[in-house]
Amino acid sequence: MSLPRSIRIRMYQVGFGDCFLLTFDYSPRPMRHVLIDFGSMAYPKGAAPRLLERIAGNIAETVKGDPFAIVATHRHADHIAGFDPGTNGTGPGAIIAALKPRFVVQPWTEDKDLPTDATGPAKRAMALRRAALEDLHKIAAHVVDVAVPRLRRRPALRQYAAELDFLGKDNIKNLRAVENLMTMAPNDYVHAGRTTRLTRFLPGIRVHVLGPPTLDQHDQVRRQRARDADNFWHLYAKSLALASGTTARQADSLFADSPSSTGRGAPPWARWMVRAMQREKAESLLELVRILDNAMNNTSLILLFECGKQKLLFPGDAQIENWEYALNTPRISKHLDDITLYKVGHHGSLNATPMPLWKRWFPDGINGAGAAQRMVSLLSTMEGKHGNSSSGTEVPRRKLVSALKSKTSLRSTEALNDRPFHDEIITVSSGQ
Amino acid sequence: MVQSRSDDPGADGPERTRGDRTLWRKLTILAQDPNVTCKGQPIWSTVELPCEPLEPGPCGARIKVVDYDATQDRFYHPLPKGKYECNCEPVDPFVKASTRERLGNPNFHQQNAYAIAMRILSRFETALGRRVNFGFHGHQLHIAPHAFAEANAYYSRDSRSLCFGYFPGDDDQLVFTCLSHDVVAHETTHALLDGLRPRYIDPSSPDQAGFHEGFSDIVALLSVLSDARIVEAALASEDVMAEGRKLIARKHLRPDSLKKSVLLGLAKSMGDKGPGGSIKALRQSAELKPDPALLETDVEFSKPHRRGEILVAAILNAFIKVWTDRILGLGEIRKGYLDAKRVIDAGATSASHLLTISIRALDYAPPTDLHFGDYLSALLTADRETVPDDSYGYRSILRECFAAWGIKPSSAPNGDGCWLAFGAPIDYGNIRFDSLQRDPDEAFRFIWQNAHAFNLAGDAYTQVTGVRPIARVAPDGLVVRETVVDFIQILALRSDELARLGLSKPPEMPEFREVRLYGGAVLVLDEYGRLKFSIGNDVRNVERQQRRLDHLARSGFFDYPSEAAFSRGFFSRLHLDRARAL
Repeated sequence: MSLPRSIRIRMYQVGFGDCFLLTFDYSPRPMRHVLIDFGSMAYPKGAAPRLLERIAGNIAETVKGDPFAIVATHRHADHIAGFDPGTNGTGPGAIIAALKPRFVVQPWTEDKDLPTDATGPAKRAMALRRAALEDLHKIAAHVVDVAVPRLRRRPALRQYAAELDFLGKDNIKNLRAVENLMTMAPNDYVHAGRTTRLTRFLPGIRVHVLGPPTLDQHDQVRRQRARDADNFWHLYAKSLALASGTTARQADSLFADSPSSTGRGAPPWARWMVRAMQREKAESLLELVRILDNAMNNTSLILLFECGKQKLLFPGDAQIENWEYALNTPRISKHLDDITLYKVGHHGSLNATPMPLWKRWFPDGINGAGAAQRMVSLLSTMEGKHGNSSSGTEVPRRKLVSALKSKTSLRSTEALNDRPFHDEIITVSSGQ
Repeated sequence: MVQSRSDDPGADGPERTRGDRTLWRKLTILAQDPNVTCKGQPIWSTVELPCEPLEPGPCGARIKVVDYDATQDRFYHPLPKGKYECNCEPVDPFVKASTRERLGNPNFHQQNAYAIAMRILSRFETALGRRVNFGFHGHQLHIAPHAFAEANAYYSRDSRSLCFGYFPGDDDQLVFTCLSHDVVAHETTHALLDGLRPRYIDPSSPDQAGFHEGFSDIVALLSVLSDARIVEAALASEDVMAEGRKLIARKHLRPDSLKKSVLLGLAKSMGDKGPGGSIKALRQSAELKPDPALLETDVEFSKPHRRGEILVAAILNAFIKVWTDRILGLGEIRKGYLDAKRVIDAGATSASHLLTISIRALDYAPPTDLHFGDYLSALLTADRETVPDDSYGYRSILRECFAAWGIKPSSAPNGDGCWLAFGAPIDYGNIRFDSLQRDPDEAFRFIWQNAHAFNLAGDAYTQVTGVRPIARVAPDGLVVRETVVDFIQILALRSDELARLGLSKPPEMPEFREVRLYGGAVLVLDEYGRLKFSIGNDVRNVERQQRRLDHLARSGFFDYPSEAAFSRGFFSRLHLDRARAL
């Protein structure tokens, strides 16, 4: 089969989330479709009711009976919530499953067949990473179920509750969506450098997997550090279980025989410190959850679709630690030059578009002047939901958006107004 | 004449009583943590601390323990007032308690954290020869021994406190970070260093970012190793002693063997206590092979916690070398075997001396923009000023061990590595030395009067940040008196003004963004008020400032709206990053 005539990238308005439907026109043969992520953490203002079901309906209308495949870059709710079939099987995930996708591409960390008691150092480490992901979910659940309600009861600490609630909910395990992705079609678990089934599925197109790396793809030092990190999450999940009453060892029975009181009952000389510790705990938890959010993002798939001179980069929410392997491995990093379409990482956070990557494309950096390039950038985002500008963590970062505007042809869901999606058409000339 | 070095406060010499008043208080602490055992029991130690009236907490003049658990909203009541005194004599309330009674009682946890923090404070004051201030407004450092159910422990300048978490370990037994000597010592050191050098948490260079963590590890580990019982336990855990631990074979006392048995042995027995512990640095010290190019070429070691580990490795390798040199002088009890006690004492003494030198060096380190080479020059100068006769070769060993990691003294690399004496003429007119020893305004007048000699930038903000008279006892028993004056200079420039100094704006720096350049110096005056050293950085030093700007750009500094936003949560984040080690 020859090259597709064109590629259409449909970017849906999901608010804070990602949903991209790639349609490859092989006419007169049937079109082929790839859905990359389908999720949202916050709907846009004035969104229609049952937004995700409507989007699923549009995807179904588009795909009809054509060959169809799915990519779920990572587990965050803003990327997979749309795969939830609902409690009664009428949710958007059920509509997608009914399209009978040929396969689902996911990162290696989702491989359910990796036994937790796997033997051999490499397998044990991979199993540890999977277990760490479960720990991340547990911590997120603690944040949403225990920490946020407590913070909301204390006026002085309410400022922490909103961000913790957002990040916590994004990281909670969406069991129905995860299981739907596991069962709706055969899975293709991939890692950096691995061949994906997408290459055979899309004739004339080479699909490169640039991330995430496996633990063995890190050098010796970083591999050990990665394992330390996985152990760290395990420790933390266990610590927080003490506070949420989900463990036999309850913290409040630590010193059952020793006299104690609540913070309110503390003597006057201790009260300043009581308030200070409550604030410290909230800040410490927020810092932890930000790191956790990044850790989950770093399991994200980074895919590159190459079709002649067209190179389409879809990095999910990959952060710097995920990018490092691709950027530092010449046989992989060479693919990152001459990108023609860039799905902006992590809804426009600065960390997801690492400076070494940006400088490959624009050597004068983010502030340098320069004419708009032929690169098209697609940004699916929503202001005011993630981070804040006072701490320099707002998403999307104003500075990045400004640079994308000046150096690329930026298409953002924030500019869609009431339109449900944006279509970007890429013509693949026969000469390529 | 071979001079002996003695540093431990209260070890010998100081008077025990004054009139009918006892000057020292003994308290029971854990020598390391409950994991480190000898014959199946935790190792207990008694520390001697300056005796002070204690309020409930315990709460003294400098350390105030408030045992509030924010996770459980629970305040654990301290021992009532009077439990630490009986008939006006200091009392150790846990001296007769069993292991179970101690470990299961929050009041012992409170005492343990108080006593270790006080011990470290006392070591600092003894080494520096003066009182030490904290880096926040207030006189008392708060300690929360059970701050929250989290695998974390850190110093917070904002809440003037050390926060110690607790968490279930691998065997589901709770790990209390406040019971770990190295964790408490490490966090206390962060607080003390922040008081002595508040600008060391500023974004500056990979070295400065790594210094806080590395220095805190050095103090924590040398503090642990200066306890002979811990050295003995580490050797015993590796099964290198013979005849009921009375003898030790010389073959086990080579540097590589000691690194394996003592450093790795201790690391193994300590177990990982999550953030705040020094175990990773200890392990790395024994395992990392010295490489002079590592700091410059390996991107992994540009990260603060990893860079700090190199500093620790250099000092702990020096410790092993000093120790093995001391052992060479010991006679054999029988062929090939030495008296284990003397070997162990030599190790603890070596650690204690290096701890003193490491702390003392802070007074000779520049107040801003520290590089490891500056610290090495500070180490060498601080030691030379108090102990001119380096009979045990501490200074040459330090230079050799730092050089193994590519760290050379910033001053006189071809000479003795110490800071050079100040050479420019100084105007002492209208300066009253008596005032100069304690009055920041008089010190400012002195600096202003000699602006040319100090190469001050006239358009920069200048502030005296400390005036400290010090008195250190040298090994020969004589008192070395100095006055240390710290001042900083801050020049706030917009990106378009950088060229005025010959600096290039990094591409990552936005137009019209303001950045602060730091400079300043430590002035060391002798007992007659004459300037001995001016140790610092010129705020207009183009090469240094450009290096700093480029580093800030690389580390994402300009992505943050302000310097405060970039530095927020410095210690908490540092420890979380380190525990995750990514």
